[in-house]
Amino acid sequence: MAGEVVAIEVCKVEAGLEKLLDPDAGEWGRAAEAMVPIVPTPLDRQPSAYVQVSWRGRPRGGIGEVRVRAVAATGGVAVRLEWAALRPSRLISDVNVYPDGCAMLFAADGREAELGTMGSAGHPVRGWHWRAGTDLPFAVTATGIGTVERAKEHAVRGRARWAEGRWQVVLAGPLGSEGVPLRKGSGLPVAFAVWSGAARERAGLKSYSEQPCELRL
Amino acid sequence: MAAAKSKSPRHQFAMVLDLNKCLGCQCCTIGCKTQWTQGSGMEAMWWNIVNTMPGRGTPRDAFELGGGYRDGEPVPGQLPGQSEWGEAWDFEYDEVFSRGDEGRAYLRPRERDGASPTWGPNWDEDLGGGEYPHSYFFYLPLLCMNCSKPACLEACPRDAIYRREEDGIVLVDEERCHGYRFCIEACPYKRIYFNLERVIAQKCISCYPRLEAGVAPACVRQCPGRMHHIGYLDDPESTISKLVKKWKVALPLRPDFGVEPNVFYIPPLLPMAFNEKGEFDEKGSRMPLDYLRELFGPDAEKALAKVQAERKKAASGKKSELIDILIARDWKQLLGPYPVDPGKLERPPRK
Repeated sequence: MAGEVVAIEVCKVEAGLEKLLDPDAGEWGRAAEAMVPIVPTPLDRQPSAYVQVSWRGRPRGGIGEVRVRAVAATGGVAVRLEWAALRPSRLISDVNVYPDGCAMLFAADGREAELGTMGSAGHPVRGWHWRAGTDLPFAVTATGIGTVERAKEHAVRGRARWAEGRWQVVLAGPLGSEGVPLRKGSGLPVAFAVWSGAARERAGLKSYSEQPCELRL
Repeated sequence: MAAAKSKSPRHQFAMVLDLNKCLGCQCCTIGCKTQWTQGSGMEAMWWNIVNTMPGRGTPRDAFELGGGYRDGEPVPGQLPGQSEWGEAWDFEYDEVFSRGDEGRAYLRPRERDGASPTWGPNWDEDLGGGEYPHSYFFYLPLLCMNCSKPACLEACPRDAIYRREEDGIVLVDEERCHGYRFCIEACPYKRIYFNLERVIAQKCISCYPRLEAGVAPACVRQCPGRMHHIGYLDDPESTISKLVKKWKVALPLRPDFGVEPNVFYIPPLLPMAFNEKGEFDEKGSRMPLDYLRELFGPDAEKALAKVQAERKKAASGKKSELIDILIARDWKQLLGPYPVDPGKLERPPRK
């Protein structure tokens, strides 16, 4: 990934994670907001010729950016993602309906992993993934495109709200090897993704942060 | 990518369906439904369905929704909504059974949102084509074709669909499936369903647990018409191989979809036309041959001619291996290497 690093300063707050699950909690106002540009994933990286051919020429992207705030609290870290969604897709209500979603991705060991390729063999990535219509977000691991698996052992909590044309989603979980391996004084490379259900995005068809991002505690 | 994902199996399980014997009774459909799709989220699934042809199929306009391959490239497919497949309708049972003597009440089907349905599985049953007296139709059972070039398998970005090494049966790995539904778009026969509750794709599994116990699939055993032949395509002694490769009377459906299906059909013999006096005209047909060519490819005419010729031969008292196979006087002959009676299997004790 090329370009200047988007720094997301993780603000320390005196509150429990439970309170911070509310996207409107006052503590969020203390965290600096980072604007993370997001672009459609390249079609030629989709691991299926069918997907590449059937999405050729279809309009993609359009969300443009996701706004991110992050706080370290009692019990772990919480990240608040916000993006524009004029036509929210809240539920898989039919065979041809897809839900909105978002995710934050980071190297499982906090060090090296190619986030742009969802990790690689021997260098896994971990993600916190929220999908509209599901009760809870879930943790995933991956070692490359097309290898995402749910990671049952990694706890993540979250809450989502749609209001006035925007989704606000909070993802929260522990710090350290059981959650986000963020260490004080060093930056943790992260990436973000957003799926537009109205555009029938799913799997690798999404908007993602091409520019490098870092959580800094 | 498709070649890497889909290795050639050791053997190929295949089926031949003789459309001259299909009654449209749906025993195969109900046998499958009873066996496999009673679970949560499966209410509207019909892994096996029998449609009237000409007809718009299940889902509506199934064969017009894309998928498959053309000139080696995937063809984009459409994904219809549940009402195009047919929902699991509600009926106003309480209304009907509680009215007593208070006037009339009717059982009306309702979709989830209370609307009257506008399509369902086998919606246009027995409508057929042509103008009276030259109307015509036949019944076409449809299930997973266990294609040798399965478009569904290639379409899945998670490798959640695979072909069994032992027999080429194509299966969805329900643990790996994340419900992306590219497979449903890619299947040109639209034989994959979506479980809205579990958020996974599901489809005919060729009754593989039964096959592993030596028992034929439910649809095959239930059929009173004796129209299903099963076996290994690569076994030259099998009736499958004889019908497909030796006699060449069993043809793939829509070979132009490019997926090399392993369910083959013996096309229906052309029904005779009527002359001005209302008598049968042996030289004419109510069903256009072009229609059968469209469904079964350019070899349809030769296949029909072969069956007709062997029928005449058998009718004149001469032996015909082909007609003996098609009549299937011994029902077990249809079952190939799967003759075990499921009623005689040892079962775990009831709890």
